[in-house]
Amino acid sequence: MSLTKVYDAPTVFRHLNGIMNIYKPAGMKVKHVKNAVLHNIAKDLNEMKVREPRKLHTPLLEPGGDANPLLRKINSIDLADHILATGPRYQISDIRCALVAGLGIHTSGVLLFGINKGINQSQQVQRNRPVRAYHVTGRLGMATETHFPDARITVRADYRHVHPDRVSALAASMQASHQRKMYELCGVDLQSQAAYEIACKGLLRPADNTQPVIYGIKLIDFQRPDFTLEIHAINECEEYLASLINEVGIELRTVAHCTSIRCIRHGHYGVETSLLRHGWNLRGVVKNMREQRQVLQKHPHLINQDKIELRND
Amino acid sequence: MIILRNLRFITKVTKTDANIPNYLPKNIRSLRNQTRQRVESLTTKEEHTDHVEKLAQPTRTEQRVNTGITEAVNKYLKNELRHIENKENIDVPTIQTNATHSSHLPANDEEIDDQLLDVGEAKKDYVPTFNLAAYVNKSPTLQKFLQLGVDLHSIERRKGLAKFTLGLDFEKDVQPYLYFLQDQGVPAESFGELITKNPLIFKIDIDDLQTRVNYLESKKFTAVQRQRIFTYNPFWLMFSTHRIDKRLGHFQKEFHLNGDDVRFLASKQPRLITYNMDHIRKASFCIREEMGFDKDEIKCLLLSKPRLWMINSDELIERFAYAHQTMGLSHDLLIQFPEVLTSREFRLRQRHEFLATLGRAQYDPEKDLYTSPKDLVSGNDYHFVRNVAKSDLETYELFLKTR
Repeated sequence: MSLTKVYDAPTVFRHLNGIMNIYKPAGMKVKHVKNAVLHNIAKDLNEMKVREPRKLHTPLLEPGGDANPLLRKINSIDLADHILATGPRYQISDIRCALVAGLGIHTSGVLLFGINKGINQSQQVQRNRPVRAYHVTGRLGMATETHFPDARITVRADYRHVHPDRVSALAASMQASHQRKMYELCGVDLQSQAAYEIACKGLLRPADNTQPVIYGIKLIDFQRPDFTLEIHAINECEEYLASLINEVGIELRTVAHCTSIRCIRHGHYGVETSLLRHGWNLRGVVKNMREQRQVLQKHPHLINQDKIELRND
Repeated sequence: MIILRNLRFITKVTKTDANIPNYLPKNIRSLRNQTRQRVESLTTKEEHTDHVEKLAQPTRTEQRVNTGITEAVNKYLKNELRHIENKENIDVPTIQTNATHSSHLPANDEEIDDQLLDVGEAKKDYVPTFNLAAYVNKSPTLQKFLQLGVDLHSIERRKGLAKFTLGLDFEKDVQPYLYFLQDQGVPAESFGELITKNPLIFKIDIDDLQTRVNYLESKKFTAVQRQRIFTYNPFWLMFSTHRIDKRLGHFQKEFHLNGDDVRFLASKQPRLITYNMDHIRKASFCIREEMGFDKDEIKCLLLSKPRLWMINSDELIERFAYAHQTMGLSHDLLIQFPEVLTSREFRLRQRHEFLATLGRAQYDPEKDLYTSPKDLVSGNDYHFVRNVAKSDLETYELFLKTR
């Protein structure tokens, strides 16, 4: 297969289908991320070789046509199709774009978008509810109103008695209690044979997308007063994770608030291949979508899920 | 649909009366349009309708030109009609001529409307549309605008401007202004952008524009400065000399500038002078009270980066807070490197944090390993990583993914 450079905007646009993996910075809304990416794509497409204005088709033998000034411009261009008259060839609204699952404003990390024909895939990915992995950092000693650092501080407390092994033990017990809740949310009666058979398979996906389910909590870093938990969850939102940190603080006989939430994995889409802010342009997006296509080829069950339990492949 | 077509037909007829040399082909075409609707009748007697057509044209045109002749012609026409009516089964053409006459009456109202709207040649036989592109092939003015590089697409998005632009006559309404601007030294390449941003300049009397230029001359603005002002601020000429004078006076008094400084400021950032005064007052307050720069420092900032006064003050104070409190840049350093305040906060933050992890975030010029704040914010990420942080892009990306 030979590779050639493409200068033609319609060719690029025709192949602009798939899922892209964007690294969302904290403090920026998803809507703004989407707008910024699409704006740059449209801008870069317009800078490439776009379609020329149409030729004007005037019938040569129009009744009384010899005095018609248009007749002299039979082969000239149709000015009504000029870029200055119609606007840029590619506009943001021309690119269809759908979010796979949203992230809150305080969250940074993997954010998946389906573009054009990739919207179909992105919807299927979302319907299969892949697990998302987070690194959530909390700070001990201070509680705030919204559990985030930009809100008003409500309580201060001493945290010198907290040790990492105590936090790990708490994380393990929380994980156990959340997994018990997981069986309740799988959609069958707990006292039935079906529930027993499902439970034999291991960790289960929830039946609907209303209740958050947590599969794993692990302490990965502790530097008093900061600590970082790795959380695997489905159907979570950033407020839920922040209130989890708050609960951890209370269980540890102190208070805590959440300083940062970072999504490091969404299904099989990892943070390693996600697109940073300086790559938010056509070249970066095309390259990124090619990489993400391989992820989908390697793991076809992201789209066609046939098992109810979580899988490792 | 038919009503629309008839209306168009009417306007055509009335318009063509005004300029006689053009009327012939259009009249024929319009009449043929009509005959096309009545094909079944025409198949019977085609030569008669042709006859009537030829008669109908001169009458209609001359009715307007001189009323004296019209009576004679009318008499002749009546005779002719009687003559036709005598021959049997040809009542169709007479009905047709009656129809054209009767439809002629409301045409006058139409024309008066046109004159009231003051839309010129371009209005002729146009139907309502959503954008200017529909008219481009017909209107010579719009075609000239396209040649100049005017972005009609962005003009039509602003309310009322599309109608105004369509009513312009290039020779009469536009050309004198372009000559005028050329005389002021505005390069022809920037005409397109200028008209795109401010098509309403054609509404202002050219003598007024000359007065405004004379005002700047009297205030000792050099030719180069004036050219810069008119090129970079298309709205400057919209402001009356009184308003401009008041604003220049305000800047002079508020920031203690001398005459040369005012001229320098106006030519460096012409948009600042015509900017929203409320916004400028807010920004001044933000820079003086919230950031705590003193009088001379503010003057220095204004002359080196007038754009700071046009930035949203919330964002400005955020940048300042980060640069001053987190990065530890003093007021003096910020005066020395005002570029720091013009770069967006996230950029400042991620670069400073990267330098901090590398141990290179040292902005005191008297100590070792000094990094200039100007280098910190200038150039793209690749340039920054290689030349300022002396690292590689992969490391920087890995670092950014931990934020």
